[in-house]
Amino acid sequence: MLRFLNIVAIVVLVGSAVYAYSIKYQTSYRAEQITKTKIEIRQERDAIAVLRAEWAYMTRPERIQQLSDAYLPGMKQVDVTQVVTAQSLPERSPRVDSIGQKLDSLGLSMPATPPVSGGASTTTPKAQAQERRKP
Amino acid sequence: MTRTELNTPPTPSRAQRMRALLRAMFSTSLDLSASRMRLAALGFLALYGVIAIKLVYLGFKPEAATTRRAAAEAVAASRPDLLDRNGEVLASDVKVMSVFAEPRRIIDKDEATELLTAALPGLDSRELRERLGSRKGFVWVKREVTPHQRDEVFHLGLPGVGLIAENKRVYPNGPIGAHVLGFANVDNQGIAGIEKYIDGQGLADLHGAGFGATPEELKPISLSLDIRATHALRDELEKGVAHFKAKAGAAAIMDVNTGEVIALASLPDYDPNKPTEALDPMHINRMNVGVYEMGSTFKALTIAMALDSGKVNLNSRLDARGVLSFGRFKIHDYHAQNRALTVPEVFTYSSNVGTARMAMGQGVERHKAFLRKMGQLTRMRTELPESAEPIVPKNWGELNTMTIAFGHGLAVAPLQAMMAVGALMNGGYLMTPTFIKRGEAEAKDGAERVIRPETSEAMRYLMRLNAEIGTARKVNIAGYFVGGKTGTAEKVVNGHYSKTKLFNTFMAVAPADNPKYLFLTIMDEPQGLPETGGYATAAYNAGHVTGEIVERVGPILGLAPRFEPPHQPFPLLAKLGYGYANVPARGGGGH
Repeated sequence: MLRFLNIVAIVVLVGSAVYAYSIKYQTSYRAEQITKTKIEIRQERDAIAVLRAEWAYMTRPERIQQLSDAYLPGMKQVDVTQVVTAQSLPERSPRVDSIGQKLDSLGLSMPATPPVSGGASTTTPKAQAQERRKP
Repeated sequence: MTRTELNTPPTPSRAQRMRALLRAMFSTSLDLSASRMRLAALGFLALYGVIAIKLVYLGFKPEAATTRRAAAEAVAASRPDLLDRNGEVLASDVKVMSVFAEPRRIIDKDEATELLTAALPGLDSRELRERLGSRKGFVWVKREVTPHQRDEVFHLGLPGVGLIAENKRVYPNGPIGAHVLGFANVDNQGIAGIEKYIDGQGLADLHGAGFGATPEELKPISLSLDIRATHALRDELEKGVAHFKAKAGAAAIMDVNTGEVIALASLPDYDPNKPTEALDPMHINRMNVGVYEMGSTFKALTIAMALDSGKVNLNSRLDARGVLSFGRFKIHDYHAQNRALTVPEVFTYSSNVGTARMAMGQGVERHKAFLRKMGQLTRMRTELPESAEPIVPKNWGELNTMTIAFGHGLAVAPLQAMMAVGALMNGGYLMTPTFIKRGEAEAKDGAERVIRPETSEAMRYLMRLNAEIGTARKVNIAGYFVGGKTGTAEKVVNGHYSKTKLFNTFMAVAPADNPKYLFLTIMDEPQGLPETGGYATAAYNAGHVTGEIVERVGPILGLAPRFEPPHQPFPLLAKLGYGYANVPARGGGGH
């Protein structure tokens, strides 16, 4: 009985040692990973900071003005008369299907309702083509 | 072995004695092991005691300065980003490499000096040799090297020479907003402007205590500036200064309801990426650091004082005939009318005599008290560390009051005058201008009411009238309902006011019925041009530039243009019986 207990104790001891070692190994591996990721994050952050500064440098109003003066010769400074309020826009006219009307007048109009199945109008043109190819 | 045996007197034999001793030593009898265990425990206790004492000793001993630590102290700390009010980057940190050396670890100092000077042109070899020869643990070889130089130094593979990443402050917009931003030195410490202000807010203490704040811990700081408006303002000002051949110029826009400075430019200016340029005395911030006699724009303050006291109202008439004499001094009107003028006429004709009489009607003490209340007699402190004390006459007599009434004899910082005029416009709240973004509620919280709302409305009416028919017609941009006031001050040359050297100012408010923005342009010694008929007074140059600024900046700042004049722009005045204030004025006036 005593011997059995001793054996069990030894096995538990060895087992726990192995387990502790593996835990320790994993921990240091993870810690390494964390450090690596942290370095990567820092590098990315530095890169973002550089890019942001560069973006701000490239889009600085002074440069945009020079570019627009050089490449948009027809553009002028915004005049106060060009600024209007939303209220001063004209009322939206009722929707007119002008293309449909033109087709109608030319006698080219298709039947308004889909020819066979009711769901055809919801499919894409590609799907419709595939539908047609079916015997 | 029993006790009785042990207690028997030992036999003199040496071998026997040895055996007895050995036996006694290795005896496992229980009665003896207790004392032995005590001995062993004592031994271990002493051992652990020594270890513990050593630990405490090590804990208290100051850590030997390692290179890493020395470097951490020396490298440029990170600073928070500065953003404009719309989130555009005004100042940011980027990482750059710097070369350092640990002289104690360098084996061949002459070789190291030779190789380093070859890789890093611009280094003085003699000075470098001296630095490497020192007994220090850490010295800089060169700060902020290019990527190419960094690679070269790396490939030299010198022991005791290393590279370290540092923060470098960059200002992507160059001179735009430079006077507000200030700049940071090579150690990334704020030296001027908002940069210095941030350091004063605890950032420097944090760095000093060894907390090298990481970039993610530093929240970006939003300034009140609008970078686009600032650029537009600076561009128009630059054109104006060049066109009128002025020595210098400055302009600013302030939100009158919050005290925020939306745009500020002072020409000539500098690029904060090259801080040495900032040291040129010509490059000072004329809005905040220069003090000037503001000329006729000060008349607004005099009239507001008179109206607010109740002694004078909009219908009062003031004698503006001829020349006002005081001792041997004579006060002239530039647009002399030689008759009694009403208060609006005094403003639109910019009558020196009329305003001088108005101030005299109040008396010296009340005039002084009013100007003190308006913050014109003491140094104004904003976030910017640079500021200037106003130049106040030592013995303030009646003559001083008369001249200060029309802006001569008291020199203030233009931004300070802007603060006062802002209070006249916004309903009477005096707010110290700020360069940090803030809301209206926050601004009103710390603001003191200095004049009545009716007086403020009357002042807005006068400004508007002046833009319609008076001296400020250059700024009457259709759609913005602008009000304005010119100011032409003669500069003092050799103790006398010069007729030819002028300092011109122009204040404008838009829109006058519901004020939002206050514009100020100042120009130092602008010249008369053929198209202005040779005149160099404020309306022709500072007024012209302000008009251009309002027109260009209006859409950027989201000022909605209105093409029908407001129905009743001044309701309080209408209630008080000045119904004519709401009728658009027609007809001519002075310039």
